[in-house]
Amino acid sequence: MTHDEVFDRVKTIIAEKLGVEEDEIALDSDLTEDLGADSLDLVDLVMAFEDEFNFKVEDEQIENISTVGDIVEQISKGLKVEG
Amino acid sequence: MRDIGILKIKSHEPALPLIQGGMAVGISLDGLSAAVASAGGVGTIGTAGIGMTIEGYARNFKQASIEGLKNVIRKARSKTDGLLGVNIMVALTNYQDMVVTALREKIDMIISGAGLPLDLPSYLEEGSKTAIIPIVSSLKSAKVILKRWFGKFRYIPDAFIVEGPKAGGHLGYRVEDLQSQEFSLSSTIPQVRQLTEEIKREYGKDVPVIAAGGIFEREDVQEMFELGASGVQVGTAFIGTQECDADIRFKQALIEAKKEDIVIIKSPVGMPGRAIRNKFLVDVEAGNKKPFKCVYHCIKTCNFRETPYCIAQALMNACRGDLENGFAFSGTEGYRIKEITTVKDVIERLFGTGPLSLY
Ligand SMILES: Cc1cc2nc3c(=O)[nH]c(=O)nc-3n(C[C@H](O)[C@H](O)[C@H](O)COP(=O)(O)O)c2cc1C
Repeated sequence: MTHDEVFDRVKTIIAEKLGVEEDEIALDSDLTEDLGADSLDLVDLVMAFEDEFNFKVEDEQIENISTVGDIVEQISKGLKVEG
Repeated sequence: MRDIGILKIKSHEPALPLIQGGMAVGISLDGLSAAVASAGGVGTIGTAGIGMTIEGYARNFKQASIEGLKNVIRKARSKTDGLLGVNIMVALTNYQDMVVTALREKIDMIISGAGLPLDLPSYLEEGSKTAIIPIVSSLKSAKVILKRWFGKFRYIPDAFIVEGPKAGGHLGYRVEDLQSQEFSLSSTIPQVRQLTEEIKREYGKDVPVIAAGGIFEREDVQEMFELGASGVQVGTAFIGTQECDADIRFKQALIEAKKEDIVIIKSPVGMPGRAIRNKFLVDVEAGNKKPFKCVYHCIKTCNFRETPYCIAQALMNACRGDLENGFAFSGTEGYRIKEITTVKDVIERLFGTGPLSLY
């Protein structure tokens, strides 16, 4: 999977969970400030990513996620994405 | 007409379908919790700030808190054979210390809210009799906790406490949602009950739904059962009792309060709270308080550099009766307390003397 493919799938999940349009979501969008997620949404999102990409995020790491790019980064690291 | 069922939480069956809500700082310690437990409910110790019960606590608050909790649990145990719980706020910096200490003391229940207790099951040993119970404010938070607990630990919550917008203390809602019908117990209880029915079908586990917030008399209890609750958690009503651990002046603050004195405040913890307005809170609002030196480091989310007062100190002062330098939390119904009675009286007002039933 490429970086862009990860981003696309992440976008779809965020759009569905937070009820925002996919084209509002950019890599530098802040989940809380720009997309309106609360702490509950963050956990909900992380669990959805865990299911989708089959990897694990520790509870403490959830607090460190702020932008969509952070998520794509974490997933890509877990999946060893090319380019 | 049928009698309301027995409340069963893990292997525990209190004689009454009642949990006394844990109240910090220092409002429900061994006195109140043991009295409720002896009367047939679950008595709950509030753990936030419990280090204040130990001499010289300011020097090492972390260690004093562990000692304090251990002592209070043992004292309560020595007074009752009934069921005892602890309330541990997720936002506490010493969350882990409190959970581990309570488990070591073989507490019957750990009740945890003010945040998502995502890792609570990780502390339980196989076969532990301690029930673990999250406090939730919506169907969504119940679902997220269930999914995380089951996904990571294969553990299903032993009950859900649904705390609605009328409760006292810190509230799990945004200020603008407090009045909304969408978040009232009459919407949330049936939703969470439906979730627990699904859990029962899918996994075979009974997960009682316990309603909290604004429950003051028998009609309220009856209403909660009709909505689908199997038990109630009550806090404020127990403050007006002889057995409550707070100073008489704290109890007096509720007795003297009028309905309109019970207001929503912005707590340094980062959540709204419901409290009785007094000069201290008015001064805070007017900006007449100055930032302070933080000695307790008690709350993860407290921005102590910008906060106008130390909430731990203010609540410790209040519980000792110094309402000039503190304030009292209260649920919406606090103004209905007219005099100091006993735990037995409060329970009679809630459940009557005959059995409650569903029509
Ligand atoms: C003085 C006071 C202190 C409280 N402290 C806590 C606490 O430390 N942790 C917590 O989860 N809930 C706390 N609560 C909430 C109660 O446990 C209970 O769920 C709630 O007050 C129920 O609503 P009621 O007061 O209308 O019965 C507190 C409530 C009051 C009034």
